[in-house]
Amino acid sequence: MSDSQHPGAEAAVPTAASAGVASSVVPALDVVGLSKTFDGTQVLTDIRFDVLPGEVHALVGENGSGKSTTVKILAGVYDPDDGGAVTVAGTALDLSDPSASDAAGLRFVHQDLGLVAALDARDNLALGQGYDTGWPWRIRWRSEGAAAREALDRLGYDIDVTQPVSTLSISERTAIAIARALSPRRETPAVVVLDEPTANLPESEVRRLAASIRRLSAAGIGVLFISHHFEEVFDLADRVTVLRDGKVVTTRPVAELDHGSLVELMTGRTLDVDHVAQPQSELRDVVLATSGLNGAVVRDLDLTVAGGEVVGVAGITGSGREEVARLVAGDLSPESGEVVVAGRRIAAGRPDLCKAAGMSYVPAERKTNGIVTGHSVAENVVIADLRPLRRRGALRARLQRRDADAWIERLDVRPRDGGLPIESLSGGNQQKVVLARALRLSPTVLVLDEPTQGVDVGAQAQIRSHIRAAVAEGLGVLVCSSSSEELAEMCDRVVVMVGGRRVRDMVAPMEVDEITAATLQSVAEGTA
Amino acid sequence: MTTDIESGRGKRPRRSFGLARYSGLYIWALLIALFAVWLPDTFPTTQTLRSVADDQAVTCLVALALVVPIAAGIFDLSVAAQLGFSLVIAVYLQSQGIHPVISVLVALASGLLVGVLNAIVVVKLSVDSFIATLGMSSILAAGVYTVTDGQPIVNGISEGFTQAGRGTLLGVPLTVVYLAVVAAVLWYVMEYTPLGRHFYATGGNPQAARLTGLRVDRITAYAFILSGLLASIAGVVLAAKLGSGSHLAGPPYLLPAFSAAFLGATQIKPGRVNVLGTLVAVYLLATGVKGLQLAGAPPEINDLFNGVALIAAVALAARSARRARS
Repeated sequence: MSDSQHPGAEAAVPTAASAGVASSVVPALDVVGLSKTFDGTQVLTDIRFDVLPGEVHALVGENGSGKSTTVKILAGVYDPDDGGAVTVAGTALDLSDPSASDAAGLRFVHQDLGLVAALDARDNLALGQGYDTGWPWRIRWRSEGAAAREALDRLGYDIDVTQPVSTLSISERTAIAIARALSPRRETPAVVVLDEPTANLPESEVRRLAASIRRLSAAGIGVLFISHHFEEVFDLADRVTVLRDGKVVTTRPVAELDHGSLVELMTGRTLDVDHVAQPQSELRDVVLATSGLNGAVVRDLDLTVAGGEVVGVAGITGSGREEVARLVAGDLSPESGEVVVAGRRIAAGRPDLCKAAGMSYVPAERKTNGIVTGHSVAENVVIADLRPLRRRGALRARLQRRDADAWIERLDVRPRDGGLPIESLSGGNQQKVVLARALRLSPTVLVLDEPTQGVDVGAQAQIRSHIRAAVAEGLGVLVCSSSSEELAEMCDRVVVMVGGRRVRDMVAPMEVDEITAATLQSVAEGTA
Repeated sequence: MTTDIESGRGKRPRRSFGLARYSGLYIWALLIALFAVWLPDTFPTTQTLRSVADDQAVTCLVALALVVPIAAGIFDLSVAAQLGFSLVIAVYLQSQGIHPVISVLVALASGLLVGVLNAIVVVKLSVDSFIATLGMSSILAAGVYTVTDGQPIVNGISEGFTQAGRGTLLGVPLTVVYLAVVAAVLWYVMEYTPLGRHFYATGGNPQAARLTGLRVDRITAYAFILSGLLASIAGVVLAAKLGSGSHLAGPPYLLPAFSAAFLGATQIKPGRVNVLGTLVAVYLLATGVKGLQLAGAPPEINDLFNGVALIAAVALAARSARRARS
């Protein structure tokens, strides 16, 4: 596969040749017969796939299918069982040596990026490759700056390299992490492994990142791309390897697949994602209302949510969409305006009063805002309301276990063990725990911020069906999401935010593309 | 599809610490057995038992004062200074002819007040707890010096007051009785009341706790106030035991108390600072030190043993936590 197949903006059209010529071209990465057993449980069985030079190869699968384990074996974190082999650009990799993969030319960009937030791009790049120093140990900042700018420019990013990376957008940070993986002061890598680089990116930023990934492949570097997002897989990848239950289901050119067939391969069942009939629930009283709400970006927002209704908030990053849930749920204090929950006016910045009035909140960014670290799954489920767990004034471990187990069962949290530390669960299951905590309060209104971010397809469907069931019983839901797909599927109405203002309302049935178009089209109108 | 497989933690979740959870108790028992065999005449005596229990009661109380703020994810460096402050207040008021009961109540109230001030500085003024309580320590040191004028207060202490510090109940030193009562109450609060659970949740992730509707500011304030009260109880107990007041009494308690709280966090409920673990930690260390002293070790063995034990225990706990995770 040559570079010429990757012209400019459009993803190269993969051909049968990709598979056909595999034997004649030395693959950038060749994985053969990889297996892994943890304590007698086989989690990977005979994994085999290859990544050709200049190819973007997507690795997809539900949570628990073995993607992360595969990546960790490649990165040298885990030793595989005997019998497997990995070659990088024709050289066999010593899988028992954690530093071997890096030396062989495999580079990794992990989902958390591994950047130091308080330092700038120059520092973060230098931390991977060493500083350029003069006498005596003086850092040559000018040359560091130029090198950093050049490295980012190659990826199509123009970033102020003297700003702390915490002030940059997520796609800019991702670009820095990729630039560090490419490390101009070392050999060009054979393969870059991107582990869910776009899990937290809004769609417009995904495009920027996609363009830089194409630049990598155009330079002849093989890209192994792990993703939950089908749009990106179809947009970027040449071939797809699908994992299920620790086995390779298939490796195919992406052109042979469509959305439905990929879901089917991943889950092993037909999943009617887009066409779940909206249950026609009866509208009840208004349970949530905002009037004249002003935040840092949001301007004069009026919203109402009735019982039995799901209202969505759409918008690109910077539109104010990210702020809406936080303002409504009392995380942020609005500059002006009010929030009324079930008829009660809530004082600014008081999540506790929101809860008392009957609101439950599932915040975005589960790691920083959702899970209580160092605590068990059961403790995370029950922490918002301990009153039912008391007998004669004292909290009872038995009542907690019973209460939590019921929710773990109901939301299908796996593994089914409330005693495990919350950190040991996968992202999708952690999110189910946070949702269980919210639903357990029997709220009259539920505010969801990016409820299925970083959650696999199967768990997404489960989470949505639980919300739907609660809505059928009269729950009012406000859901803020960067995923048009999610909004189209869940919502009765969608409010589109542009430049902090509510510019458009849409009513179900909505097409995914319609919503996306509305968030973008209006930007053009707004700036025109 | 099982999730634990993906994360690779599989069959060895962190909670099953097994032996490690109670390792302190085993080591304690081992130490006692060891010294009993080595020093059969001096070590296994009621005299030794009583002196170890009595000597450490105040350290234990200060360490318990730290359990609450550390559980809530904040530091209270002012506990030792608060101990010193309430100690000199209890003694000074008596030397001025005020009834000992009133003196004690005022001393306890001073602890509450300092806790409230700490809470205001940290919660309302958003000062980092480490810095706020460091500053408070210094302010209290100045206060202690002002009250004592740099001289030990030895006159005018009520007989009944010192009796309450030096007496015994059914052969048990009264200081140990006070400790047992305070520890039992605090243990109940931390393990069996929503307030205790809210302390731990706030320490685990304050942002998540706030968004789930807990009043994190208020919980933080309670932690400081409770800590202040416990530190002033320690101060009053020490005052009664010493029967005098000096501006030098408080500060030496800070480091042993922190050591005990952190060492205690490796015991009983690993990963969490907790009441029972803290008690085990203090008495484990004291037993070791006492045994070595009886065997003829020089006095500096105390600090040396405490330091080495703290670092070794926490390093071992970190190692077993790491193992359980990979």
